[in-house]
Amino acid sequence: MQILTAKGMHRLLYFCNGVIIFTLMGFMCVTQERINNSMSARAFLELAGAIPQSSGELFFQTVISFVIFALSGHYYLKTENRRLKYVFFATEVVMCMILMRVLNLAYDGVILLVAADLMYKYEGHRQEYALLIALFCLYFMSNYNFALFSTKIISFEAYASYYTAGAKSVILALKNTFYSLNIVCFVFYLVLVIKNSHEEHERTRLLNEKLEEANQRLRAYAIEVAQMAETRERNRLAREIHDTLGHALTGIAAGLDACLMTLEIAPEVTKNQLNKIRDAAKKGITDVRRSVKKLRPDDLERLPFQEALKEMTRDYSASSGMEITFEVLKWAENLRSDQEDVIYRVIQESITNAKRHGQATKVKIRISGDEQRLLIKISDNGCGCASVKAGFGLRHMRERLKLLHGTINYWNDGGFTVEAMIPLNRSEK
Amino acid sequence: MLTVGIFAGNNWDVPQGEPYAIIDAVIKDFEAENPGISVKYVSGIKKEDYSEWLAEKFISGEEPDIFFILAEDFNLYASMGGLMNLNGFIATDKNFSAEVYYPAAFNFGKYENISYALPCESTLTFMFVNKTLLAQENIALPKNDWTWDDFLNICRRVTRDIDGDGVPDQFGCYDYSWQDAAISNGMKFFRDDGKASYFADSRMEASIKFIMELRDVSGGFAISPKDFDVGRVAFRPFTFAEYRTYKPYPWRIKKYTSFEWDCIKMPAGKSGGNISVMDTLLIGMSARTRHKDLAWALLKKLCYDVKTQQLILEKSQALPVRRDVIISAKAAEIFSWETRENAAITPAEISDAMDAAIMPFKFKNYKNAMLYADNELTKIIAGVVPFNNSLNKLQKEINARLQH
Repeated sequence: MQILTAKGMHRLLYFCNGVIIFTLMGFMCVTQERINNSMSARAFLELAGAIPQSSGELFFQTVISFVIFALSGHYYLKTENRRLKYVFFATEVVMCMILMRVLNLAYDGVILLVAADLMYKYEGHRQEYALLIALFCLYFMSNYNFALFSTKIISFEAYASYYTAGAKSVILALKNTFYSLNIVCFVFYLVLVIKNSHEEHERTRLLNEKLEEANQRLRAYAIEVAQMAETRERNRLAREIHDTLGHALTGIAAGLDACLMTLEIAPEVTKNQLNKIRDAAKKGITDVRRSVKKLRPDDLERLPFQEALKEMTRDYSASSGMEITFEVLKWAENLRSDQEDVIYRVIQESITNAKRHGQATKVKIRISGDEQRLLIKISDNGCGCASVKAGFGLRHMRERLKLLHGTINYWNDGGFTVEAMIPLNRSEK
Repeated sequence: MLTVGIFAGNNWDVPQGEPYAIIDAVIKDFEAENPGISVKYVSGIKKEDYSEWLAEKFISGEEPDIFFILAEDFNLYASMGGLMNLNGFIATDKNFSAEVYYPAAFNFGKYENISYALPCESTLTFMFVNKTLLAQENIALPKNDWTWDDFLNICRRVTRDIDGDGVPDQFGCYDYSWQDAAISNGMKFFRDDGKASYFADSRMEASIKFIMELRDVSGGFAISPKDFDVGRVAFRPFTFAEYRTYKPYPWRIKKYTSFEWDCIKMPAGKSGGNISVMDTLLIGMSARTRHKDLAWALLKKLCYDVKTQQLILEKSQALPVRRDVIISAKAAEIFSWETRENAAITPAEISDAMDAAIMPFKFKNYKNAMLYADNELTKIIAGVVPFNNSLNKLQKEINARLQH
């Protein structure tokens, strides 16, 4: 546990400045009184070259300006409101100037106090420039004081000169000590602030490292989960195949074995048996179809096909912000599920491409055709592409369509257009 | 409540009977004109303590609203911003015109061309003439437009050995300084800002030569004030305040009873005129006063009011600063002290002298520079230092001192 924190040091800096300021003010007041009591007022005025404030005024002005200075500094650090903060800081700078002016610029250590406040609340926002400008102005003012307040400033030496040479040198030495003390406090405060900031930085770095580690673990876990899901799916498929196709094929194989035995001995029984085997094979086909059906997209299962398409485009439109119009000129009834699948995938892939590659905002889907075939045209208003390189998506579509003896064409025309044709064959092959 | 800073007696180092007669009368009038306002002053401050007293009041922030300013303090307070800039009042007050003042009096209250104080009363140097001595020597009283030549001639004629001991015991003049000579020869010693001097001027050279001629007339014998007091010296420069103090009863009894005397203007140099220095008492206003308008009214009452200026004419030894008061019938009455006697100088001539007068310098190092110059010039006049080129050297030396 640290004994001196930056906050504590900041307070100490305020305390230190307060002591110095009030000591200087007291010194000036006492000296003025002594000058008046020792008949050296005229000589003092000659030396001072300016009319001093009366002791009472000096006292009240110092107290009031220091209190306002300290309060604005306090609220500057406290407030969260950006605008108020600037107001408080401006007040602090102004009070700093007034304080220096009241003390005849004998002490400019308060400037460091302003700097300390600004450092304490450092938040980026180009504050280093604000600090630089404020410090430059304040120091310029204190160094070129005579240019600014030419006739109003009484040098500290004039006050010190009232005393004997020995006392004068002690007084000037004390003043310099005060000044040095303030600088030492300020530098120490800076060291603490830098140390704090360094520690903060170190802590952030450690946290970041931990976070990265956790992320990696999470990624590994995600891969593992995906693999597990794949394994589970594979197991499910294996089970499905085993339960349906395996079951049927095993039955068929066993039945055929029996048929081979009985073919010659009892052809009638064999015929019956073969009928049973055919039934089992048909049942197997139905089971396989059912299994395949389970792998289809959810919408296709749940809704009539056209509704499912509309739902899909609506969802995509809602999630991507693309405007998708869906126009049906001709619809073929009794589409086979494998055809439905392909149509569904082609449309899905095309609008995904329109968004991903073309950055399109509008997509038009038109379904038309005649008795023999179904035409699906998907056109977007995206940027298209100069030369179309068939990626995985397009190749995949072409392959899917090929299975149905369909074709696919695509071209650039201000956007990108995909046209797919599927022959309609009523009879099942 | 208004406060006034004032010292006892007068600015001219002559005795005065009722030190606060004028201020009391002014305050009484002012309080009657402004009901509810009281004016206070601290009495009993001597002139020699006044500067310190005022400085103390300034340091403790209790300086009076309006106050007398000694010539040597004026530049200090004006430069420090202790005095109120009066230009605004002067420009806006329809009842005020600076024209009524003699220029040398009004301009004396300016610092860097800004008026910080108004003149209250003035005095200037005249030449005392021992009428009895001149009558004995059958010499007519010089006219007011007399010159150095007339002055030198009379001095030559009166300087002689009366008791026959081989040593001259009757003299032409006492205390006629190189400053008096140079000023009446149109000489200006310093630049207005007090940073350069003109001691090498040909008019200065002529003045020094004239002083050396005068010295030669008396044969180098030291003349003492006692010689003048007992009536053995024909001329002596005096301020008008001294003239007014010692001319009438009762001070007259104390001094200069053994001879008849009068005063006339200073003799004119070849390049100048019958010019002398006019010293003026200034009154200023504190820059920190809380009652600006009342203070201005009181300041005007003291420095501008015809009634007050007439009071100065009657009650004080100084001259009022208003031209119309000086040339009034009342003044003529006061200046002819005794009905039987015809004064050698008329109010109109006094007024002319005040118009022609120059004002003293009041920059910070003036006294030191003059002291040094006086020291060196006394050596030159006494012949200790050769005259050749000595003024050039003096000017360089003084300029060097003024720059630091």
